[in-house]
Amino acid sequence: MTIAPDTIALGRRLLLKTMGGLAVAVSIPLDALAQQTPPAAPPPPATPPLLAGAAGANRQAGMLTAYVVVRPDGKVLLLSPTTEMGQGTSTAHAAILADELGVRIEDVTVETAQPADPWRWGPATGRTMGSGGSWGVRRWAPYVRQASAQAREMLVTAAAARLSVPAAELVVEDGRILHKASNRGLGIGEVAEEAGKLAPPASPRFADPARYRYVGKEVPRLDIPAKTTGAQIYSFDFKLPGMLYACARFNPVFHADFASFDAASARTVKGVRDVVKIPGGAAIIADSAWAAMKGADALKFVAAPSPQDSLDSAAISAAMREGLGASTSAVAKEEGDLAAAFAGAAKVVEADYEVPYISHAPMEPWSCTAQFKDGVLELWAPTQVQDRSLRTAMRVAELPEDKVRIHTVSIGGGFGRRLADDGIPGAVLAAKAVPGTPVKFFWRREDEMERGWFRPAQAARLRAALAADGTLLGLSFRASGPSMRMEFAPGNMKEGDLDGASVQDLPNLRYKKGAYKVDYAMRHFKVTAAPWRSVGATQNAFFLECFIDEVAAAAGQDPVAYRKRLLAHDKRALKVVDTAAEKSGWGRKLPEGRALGFAFFESYGSLCAHVAEVSLKDGRPRVHKVTAVLDCGDLVLPDGARSQVEGGVIQGLSTCLHEAATIKGGQTAEKNFDSYQLLRMPEAPVVDVHFIRSGEPLGGVGEPGLPPVTPAVVNAVSALTGKRVRTLPLDKALQA
Amino acid sequence: MVKLTVNGAPHTLDADPEMPLLWALRDILNLTGTKYGCGVAQCGACTIHLDGQPVRACATPLAAAEGAKVTTIEGLGGDHPVQKAWVEAQVPQCGYCQSGQIMSAAALLAQNPKPADADIDAAMEGNLCRCGTYPRIKGAIKRAAGVA
Repeated sequence: MTIAPDTIALGRRLLLKTMGGLAVAVSIPLDALAQQTPPAAPPPPATPPLLAGAAGANRQAGMLTAYVVVRPDGKVLLLSPTTEMGQGTSTAHAAILADELGVRIEDVTVETAQPADPWRWGPATGRTMGSGGSWGVRRWAPYVRQASAQAREMLVTAAAARLSVPAAELVVEDGRILHKASNRGLGIGEVAEEAGKLAPPASPRFADPARYRYVGKEVPRLDIPAKTTGAQIYSFDFKLPGMLYACARFNPVFHADFASFDAASARTVKGVRDVVKIPGGAAIIADSAWAAMKGADALKFVAAPSPQDSLDSAAISAAMREGLGASTSAVAKEEGDLAAAFAGAAKVVEADYEVPYISHAPMEPWSCTAQFKDGVLELWAPTQVQDRSLRTAMRVAELPEDKVRIHTVSIGGGFGRRLADDGIPGAVLAAKAVPGTPVKFFWRREDEMERGWFRPAQAARLRAALAADGTLLGLSFRASGPSMRMEFAPGNMKEGDLDGASVQDLPNLRYKKGAYKVDYAMRHFKVTAAPWRSVGATQNAFFLECFIDEVAAAAGQDPVAYRKRLLAHDKRALKVVDTAAEKSGWGRKLPEGRALGFAFFESYGSLCAHVAEVSLKDGRPRVHKVTAVLDCGDLVLPDGARSQVEGGVIQGLSTCLHEAATIKGGQTAEKNFDSYQLLRMPEAPVVDVHFIRSGEPLGGVGEPGLPPVTPAVVNAVSALTGKRVRTLPLDKALQA
Repeated sequence: MVKLTVNGAPHTLDADPEMPLLWALRDILNLTGTKYGCGVAQCGACTIHLDGQPVRACATPLAAAEGAKVTTIEGLGGDHPVQKAWVEAQVPQCGYCQSGQIMSAAALLAQNPKPADADIDAAMEGNLCRCGTYPRIKGAIKRAAGVA
């Protein structure tokens, strides 16, 4: 039996209506293909079958529906479709389950499932499991809820038979199924086995939202206690008996490899057992991590010549700048008569902007444990993309799907970096060299930086046509630069195509802007690139929102007043702008030497405005406070969402002030945190977060709080200096 | 042979004296709460206490710990005021840097029970957090110090 799509659709509508919607703390884009135009609402449900029979390798005793396992002691395991990276999705899902099943959230543990149909999403031809696009709660909540309600009814049915009472007379509270009339009860674990033999009901009744104990409440995150004691086992910490270690050594040039290497040079190190060729370099297998690292340092190799060997940032920048004026481009949006708008303009504003490559720089360098045993390959991987990793492992190991298992282990930071599966082949090949023995394949920080998969560099030329009264008659946006998808999803795109990530969120701006054109001139270079938290919005919010300040200045108007004029038709957006202005005290008299900067940007279905309060000291910006306002529809875990917005602000500010991966000799010049500067504590501002619970369709939380930070800060800096800043990072721009 | 005391227990380690203390703790003593982040004392994820002082274990050779008292995150006990404050303030996101953050904060409060903002900034500057939990870290330190 499968659950009809309309049942799920109904479930979702009920959910949205009765819960007032759900949104929380989610993450990063699942894959680049989903990013061209983030949809306002989830795609129509390609219904995950919630039956235990479809659970594949996840099938186990006590599994009632695909996501819900009830143990004999009444503890509940939630098998999640998402990877917990600290964004809070697992606690949000546990909250939904606990309220729907009638258990205490303390009795719920959450694990990421192995890839199988109930945990996959997408069109029938390309269903895939992974976490990204700030989808973790807004997409999966209806399914977790459905599966939990089904499990509750199955438990109640089994208990009714055991107690010989009508099911309607039973309630489930704190993990006990109670017959209050006869003062009898059973633990859910006592009837789980019988319940597991029942068919899940197609249309279970849902719990009364008025009785929710967890959803929408201040629920502590389940993963936090272990993260304060050292007990949380991250990928690097995961151990198996007899495990060996394999440290990578790579040609640091992008897409390059070794021509040859001298395994004996590494074997001189005590503890080194073997040297294995892997894509891009070699893996040095040893008894300990330290011996593997020393062996990697000792390895002598000859680099194979690569077309990238002479590539540098100056060449990339020059090509992007050329692309800004190129006569051919891929058009993403064109409406109205732009030529007429400019011909009739009283004033024209034009500006070129540019951003560099930036690194995800998660705190945990890549590692992955693998073992070949009895014809089966098992991987313990810190991945955001279970199916992409699985397919790569199958290809490298030359094994069918039923001979490969992938277990998701705790990730020390994702931000999109773990959407790339470039660390899988090395783990597979190292394990293949020592059959029967588990191996932890790992990179060092330098490898993590050098492998790249950056947010690509990009340039933009913006032009605005203004009427004499400041009315915006036309706006054009030309993006130019390397394509993220040419790297991340090769084969789906060619030179000259439109990469939607490069113009992400621009085609459907809420601003009233007259004639409008958005286009892209690809200038691709083979520097690895991948989605980076909020993807194209990272740079496009900077370009657009700084330019809007320039236009407002040309119109002789206050930046907030001018934005409100462009949004006069849009109540929802106006409320976000007004709330940010009010909460930040926009227009108030500031201490000498301070300025406020404003930015508004919509991404991942959520509207966000930030106001940054900034001063300059010795020519360097100091951000004192960021007032953040997010309308993401509604909230499941209010504090988890607050935490995500705070983090987005800090991470965005880090890129704004400091971050650039400089390409030199075909590789990144910044190899570690001594040269790739991240924001540190003394520079962290106060972040004052406000949510608007508009009741609109659910938006994401993990990403949309990041994009407006940079333009808010840069607008404040420009106000202080009287000179527009159009390149990043500010460290470098203000020296120029 | 290197003799040292880790979380109150004496150990004699037969290992490369040049091996960073980080890897001795993680791979010989199985104390994996101390994290590898950069290997060059730039991120603070490996922060431990060596005779009460916060040090980066990734840049401390095992030989430098001869005769020393080492405390790791596991040695704080779990109910240390800083750990409690971290839970109350819901600080961690991915959590990978938090062992090091907590060890730096615990060392700060041991030496300066009522730190001012500038003291916190100075003590915590060596600990990176990519998730951006700095505001909550600062709040949790003040909470633990009772200066909120």
